Amino acid sequence: MNDVSSDQSVPSERPTVALFITCLVDLFRPSVGFASLSLLQRAGCEVVIPGQQTCCGQPAYNSGDYRGARALARQTLKQLEAADYVVVPSGSCAGMISEHYPRLLEGPWRERALAVAAKTYELNAFLHSVAPARLPVVKVKTDSVAYHDGCAGLRELHVRKQPRELLHSVCGITVKELQQPEVCCGFGGTFCAKMPQISARMADNKLKDVQASQAQLLCGGDMGCLLSLAGRASRNGQPIEVRHVAELLSGDLSAPAIGKDT
Amino acid sequence: MSTEARSAIFARLQTASAEATANDILRESWALGHAPYPPLPCENTEQAFLTNVLSNRGTVDHAQDRSAAVKAIGRYLYTHYRTQRFVAGNDPRLAAMPWRDAGLLPRFGTVEVGEPLTVGFARLGVAELGATVSWTGKGNPSANNLLAEHHITLVDSADIVATSEDAWPRIQADMERIGRPRGINFVAGPSSTADIEGQLVCGAHGPRAWHVIVIGKLPKDALANALATTADK
Amino acid sequence: MEQKSDTFLANAATAMNDTAAAQRRDIMAAFTPIIRQQSIDGFSSYEPTRKHLKRVRQHTLNHLAHYLAEFETQALANGNHVHFARTPQELNSTVLDICQQHSARRIAKGKSMVTEETGLTAELEKAGLQVIETDLGEYIVQQAGETPSHIVGPALHKSADDVRQLFLDIHPLGERELEHTSDMVAEAREVLRTHFLQAEVGIIGANALIAENGYAMLVTNEGNGDLCANLPPVLVICTTIDRVLPRAEDATAMLRLLVRSATGQPQTCYTSFYSGPRRAQDQDGPVEVHIVLLDNERSDILDSEYRGILECLRCGACLNHCPIYQSVGGHAYGWVYQGPMGSVLTPLLTSLEQSAALPNACTACGRCEEVCPADIPLPAMLRDLRAREYTEKLTPARWRFGIAAHAWLAQRPRLYHSLSGIAVKLLRLLGRRKGYLRHLPFAGGWSSQRDFPAPQAATFMQQLHDKQRRERQRHEH
Repeated sequence: MNDVSSDQSVPSERPTVALFITCLVDLFRPSVGFASLSLLQRAGCEVVIPGQQTCCGQPAYNSGDYRGARALARQTLKQLEAADYVVVPSGSCAGMISEHYPRLLEGPWRERALAVAAKTYELNAFLHSVAPARLPVVKVKTDSVAYHDGCAGLRELHVRKQPRELLHSVCGITVKELQQPEVCCGFGGTFCAKMPQISARMADNKLKDVQASQAQLLCGGDMGCLLSLAGRASRNGQPIEVRHVAELLSGDLSAPAIGKDT
Repeated sequence: MSTEARSAIFARLQTASAEATANDILRESWALGHAPYPPLPCENTEQAFLTNVLSNRGTVDHAQDRSAAVKAIGRYLYTHYRTQRFVAGNDPRLAAMPWRDAGLLPRFGTVEVGEPLTVGFARLGVAELGATVSWTGKGNPSANNLLAEHHITLVDSADIVATSEDAWPRIQADMERIGRPRGINFVAGPSSTADIEGQLVCGAHGPRAWHVIVIGKLPKDALANALATTADK
Repeated sequence: MEQKSDTFLANAATAMNDTAAAQRRDIMAAFTPIIRQQSIDGFSSYEPTRKHLKRVRQHTLNHLAHYLAEFETQALANGNHVHFARTPQELNSTVLDICQQHSARRIAKGKSMVTEETGLTAELEKAGLQVIETDLGEYIVQQAGETPSHIVGPALHKSADDVRQLFLDIHPLGERELEHTSDMVAEAREVLRTHFLQAEVGIIGANALIAENGYAMLVTNEGNGDLCANLPPVLVICTTIDRVLPRAEDATAMLRLLVRSATGQPQTCYTSFYSGPRRAQDQDGPVEVHIVLLDNERSDILDSEYRGILECLRCGACLNHCPIYQSVGGHAYGWVYQGPMGSVLTPLLTSLEQSAALPNACTACGRCEEVCPADIPLPAMLRDLRAREYTEKLTPARWRFGIAAHAWLAQRPRLYHSLSGIAVKLLRLLGRRKGYLRHLPFAGGWSSQRDFPAPQAATFMQQLHDKQRRERQRHEH
């Protein structure tokens, strides 16, 4: 693939980044995958996308199927361990790899998990603090943007200021802060299907908060939350536009927002 | 039933407990050390005590000596109840107060239903907590802390300690002298509740007001500074 | 207490339909975290104190047999009667025996979650005793014939209007307005004062038991517990074996975290340590004191991977910060303990089968663990309980099948990628015009409440594959 990086001075050593695309991006929003890929390249990285990657194992793990989760953890680790860094456009999948794989696995696999954990980053965190080059400035048509902090990113990986600073420096966007940014949106993986009513109420509270912020676009770093919020907003007839933060940072909003006409 | 239950529970706990001799456990417990020092609102212990009493919704006053304390009590009684009467515990320190200096008429003993005012003499003040500490006994019937409408507590400035870690050795020393008191009561505010819609109301079951008078030397401006800091909030 | 955790989802639905109550919960959920945060911000040694206490609690639990025995020795030396109870029934009958030995008719009771757990009040009432809860929240709940909805604020689910109406109904005091909250508090104070003075037995819980000196620590703001502990001639303290701490200073250190986490105060109004019956020189206080120590599964929990839950301080911070507790309220959990700590404790103290929904009432958002003063890994414990449900086949078959099928498929990348490609194509066909699907086969849970955003295009992996193939072809030509 062509290098799309700009006039930034690119360090001679381009680190290799394994991009873990995540199953939700793979299935529902490939444009986020391509945006992530492009962002990493612009930030001076050699990107590899291991072809055998599927799911990090969170659904099994959170549903209590530890055996299934372990098998997927081992499979995923094998895909990722060769690279210098692992980058994931999702706080919860990045958290799964860096926080939960080492807890889930034992013996030599635990050692391997710890080694991968140490070099695994959520996309925003990587672009903000680790990537060799700064992202080029892009033009984005909207400046009325709220950011949804996914819980795993926020609390397990301490991703909070990174996306806000990136949106500011790359897109010139000052994020409109929510009243209760630390409160869960109700997605919770399988939770939203097991307890849909409760989950919907939580989503409604989050959407209310977004509405009160007067933002027209809600972005975030986790496809799960975004799909769930977009789905609920669509059901409620709320006109909010929902996108992954990578789409904004890459400056490419050509794809319709999540859940909007194709 | 209880002995049987006792042995069953202890047998179960033994299997779940780490194997260790009493000496091992003791050594391990020494290694725990003390809790980290809690922050005080200001360096000076007495001022910190006054500040925290105020933030616990108490009111405070200062008296240089016992005679001044009696007058301070007199003022408080007059302001709130237009009275000279109140109930005090049989604490020798209270008995020795020059009550006549303010024409006050204490009744020594346990508060009866309907008597609105009690005066007690605390054994300690703890700056960190904004609390006074007293133990139940002849000098301090527990009812006197609980049943009045207004509870006035005196404390000697020399008895104000910084933290609860400083309080326990003092309590321990007294225990060695007089045995373990039935109750050790830390009071830090008037009785209050927020059980209805989270709204704070004072005077839930116990006193509606709690007034602390520090007797003796205080660092310059301690009272004024404490009042100023809390007024800011 | 009768358990209704098995109908969690139905309980939750009922709770969410009561819009006024739901709104009150939203308000509480907005302001309790702020109050706590302000209080923690003003206490700069929070983190080191949390670490210190973790070590103290772990040390104590590691040697619980030792410290419990030491407490017992000291408490006996202080003149108490010490009783042990393995089960809720044993505790209830021990307490009933004590009351009957003294021919007691009236009992003044302080707030105690342990006695809620054993259903003590109902047992005593069955035997003809008049038991009055004296904590204002507990009193309201008892008089309304309800159960506590929050371990710290039992009646926070009720509005001031509810309480006003309740008091007008139950207190025969004639015409009155009870306009303000303070009027209602004053009325309860008068009514309960009489009861305190007449009660023959006081029953309280304990926030900690001090091994080194045999004292029981009681923490309240209202002072009701102290009235129960000081006025009636007989005092019964009911608590559990895991409440022991080695030293008095450990208890006061614990309070620095407990109180701030619970109510945002630096200190509760009344913190009392009681050693036993009145001494020769005392002018008041009970003549006889009984301490009843309940196990009820705790020794088993101590010996399990859930030991950490015994470090819980009962501050309620996890409830106040849980978005699910906020949504459904405390009654939905169907038992004594609510929110994250309740969803861990209830299955362990009752049965996982009866409370299988509770460990699933969690999005793993991690806020509870973040604010827990005892640093208990609540989301991990809930996940482990779900794993137990999975192994013990308590997870519904439909779910088990779905999860297992997904994991099986995801372990076969080629098959996974081609099948997901087909699935995505189908979904796109179904959702083409609007960009979303209103109904989705096999995802009834989701689509009952949400539209399902349609996939954008072919999967990322397919597109990548095609792109790479095109590039290779370009190179070859």
